[in-house]
Amino acid sequence: MWHINGFFLVLKAEIVRAFIIMRRYWFASIISIIMGYATLITIVYGLMHTPSSVKEMAEKAINGILGFLIGVFAFGIVGLFSQGLQGMARTGELEQVCLSPFGLVTNFLARSFVAALGNIVSSAIMLILVAKTVAENLHVAPVETLVLLSLTYINLIGFGFMVGGLVLVFKQTGQMAVIVRFAMIGLAIFATEKISQWPMFARWVAHALPVTDAAICLKYTIIQGQQVIKYNELGEPIVRALEPVLDSAGKPILDALGNPVMNRIYETTFSSVFTHESFFFLILSCIIWTAIGIASFRFMENWSRDKGTLGAY
Amino acid sequence: MNTEYAVELEHINKVYHTRHFFYRDEETGRRRWYTKKTVHAAVDVNFGIRPGEIFGLLGPNGAGKTSCVKMISGLVRPTSGNVYVEGLHVEKKRLQVLRRIGVVLEGTRTVIWPLTPLENLNYFGNLRGIRGKVLKERARQLLDFIGLKDKMNVQVRRLSRGQRQKLAICIALIADPSVILLDEPTTGLDVQSSHAIREKIREMTRAFNKSMLVTTHDMFVAQDLCDRIGIIDKGKLIACKTTPELLDVFSDKTFEFRLDRIPEPSKFLSIQGVQSVALDENGEGPVLVVSVEQEETIRSAALYEIISLLRDDGYLLKSVSMRQQTLENVFLRLTESTTPSVKPIVSAENQLERRV
Ligand SMILES: Nc1ncnc2c1ncn2[C@@H]1O[C@H](COP(=O)(O)OP(=O)(O)OP(=O)(O)O)[C@@H](O)[C@H]1O
Ligand SMILES: [Mg+2]
Repeated sequence: MWHINGFFLVLKAEIVRAFIIMRRYWFASIISIIMGYATLITIVYGLMHTPSSVKEMAEKAINGILGFLIGVFAFGIVGLFSQGLQGMARTGELEQVCLSPFGLVTNFLARSFVAALGNIVSSAIMLILVAKTVAENLHVAPVETLVLLSLTYINLIGFGFMVGGLVLVFKQTGQMAVIVRFAMIGLAIFATEKISQWPMFARWVAHALPVTDAAICLKYTIIQGQQVIKYNELGEPIVRALEPVLDSAGKPILDALGNPVMNRIYETTFSSVFTHESFFFLILSCIIWTAIGIASFRFMENWSRDKGTLGAY
Repeated sequence: MNTEYAVELEHINKVYHTRHFFYRDEETGRRRWYTKKTVHAAVDVNFGIRPGEIFGLLGPNGAGKTSCVKMISGLVRPTSGNVYVEGLHVEKKRLQVLRRIGVVLEGTRTVIWPLTPLENLNYFGNLRGIRGKVLKERARQLLDFIGLKDKMNVQVRRLSRGQRQKLAICIALIADPSVILLDEPTTGLDVQSSHAIREKIREMTRAFNKSMLVTTHDMFVAQDLCDRIGIIDKGKLIACKTTPELLDVFSDKTFEFRLDRIPEPSKFLSIQGVQSVALDENGEGPVLVVSVEQEETIRSAALYEIISLLRDDGYLLKSVSMRQQTLENVFLRLTESTTPSVKPIVSAENQLERRV
């Protein structure tokens, strides 16, 4: 009870602080959104000009943008636990936070929550702006997206806590964390459903990494969501899908490269992300990473108090 | 555990291990791939702070003062020994202890720079579990008390160092703790700010019956402010007494005899009541520094004897004076890092050790 109470109190304090700083440095806040927007638009037009069919093109663009945004989200959250924590230790702010009777874990949960919230809001603004620019409307399934974003956040802070614990004790690892953070952007961009066709070992590695399944699920819902053409009488979304063209014997016709020719359009219900294989892996990943992360953070925090590295040392 | 104390340190030891890779030994010049070094920041430290008392922890740089403060506030875990705050074991009940203490650590970054003092207090108040009306009222009260009211809405980065320090003290007080730990509260402040902060510390302790730990390496601050002083050097607590007692340890029993030439000091050691003899050289010729027993009749006899010995050997006695005792002298004697001009040559017994 004490900790839950504390979480909300710290949350309130962090939100107020974030607002004050955003207001006080409004110029920087606006610039960062403009920069993000410019980057996204560049990605969109870059992808649109790589020669391919129209549908593929749109999908690629959305895929790229979403991957990038999820990557930036991961980059930010993990950064809070690596460079952020390191900086706080250096300035002495970390010791101030450690003096809070709610404990470091509660404080960092609240802190990362506010950071995540800020990130999601600014990403949403950018996404809407980009969609407006390329004259599209965004369709998002609110429930699915919200659930997925929450899970992505839980997934990331689990990993973040583990990195944070390491940084508390071994300050040097902060530098390595930069590489990990960039790797996460890459991972988020390139994560596709195709990993189910990868070799066993690579597949497991991909699922074990903290952002893969989250990215796959989010992309799946949002990209599919864009293709919803109508809803059936049960309220289920209907999408258009492609089917291989069959020859008279019922076998798919292959093109010159040996791939099946896909151009028979049919309408089908859109299967929810909650039945997707990656969603299962995402939940698993959340549970495992959060458990590992918080346990190791607690352990490392004690070790850090032994070594006296909560401060500038 | 002693219930008389609000804070108690019991046989505290703290050893830091540091690891060095590609390390080059400064003395031998040898290179090693890896070395491990140990620093003893606290060696069997025992002391307690009573409610309503200002306890000073005095020591040179690197003595282990900050480490002590951090061990009391649970930021650093002692290698062995127990710390109690109001009867609670700091290691086992850390979060509960944190509700009872307010800490000001070294450094000016302990407050958030882009926020104003009022916003800082609101923020840290929430972090410490204070909210709503209580917080609002207390924040204003504290700012008024410490004299920051007119700077209430100025961003911290635009404040002076002393004002930031005052704010840091306010933050430590926001949850109304009964134990307050101040690490070097007046370092780097000008005379006025230092004075103002000392005044406030005194006021707080007296008015609200708080227990206060103040670390400093400024003798003057310690002498002026503290009821009791612990002197710490290289992690060892080498003295722990009330301020007058500490000043008494060497006071009115060290005498300086200014002579025309250098005497043979060991001669005077055999006199009954003489505890130590030292030579002091300064511009006006050699000075024989003799400390004698505090008991009056013995002291009188000893002084007569010293003077007669000097007369017998035909020394010209230019002046005799009693050395004014300041905490600085006591400190220097205790930490055994004497001033360049005073070198104790012989000592009747290891007086320093026993006194401690
Ligand atoms: N986290 C740490 N790791 C390794 N050594 C440390 C650590 N913290 C302190 N030390 C060492 O322990 C000793 C005591 O340090 P401490 O900071 O307690 O001294 P201090 O009395 O506060 O000194 P100052 O007056 O300079 O503030 C020093 O030699 C310091 O180098
Ligand atoms: Mg210090």
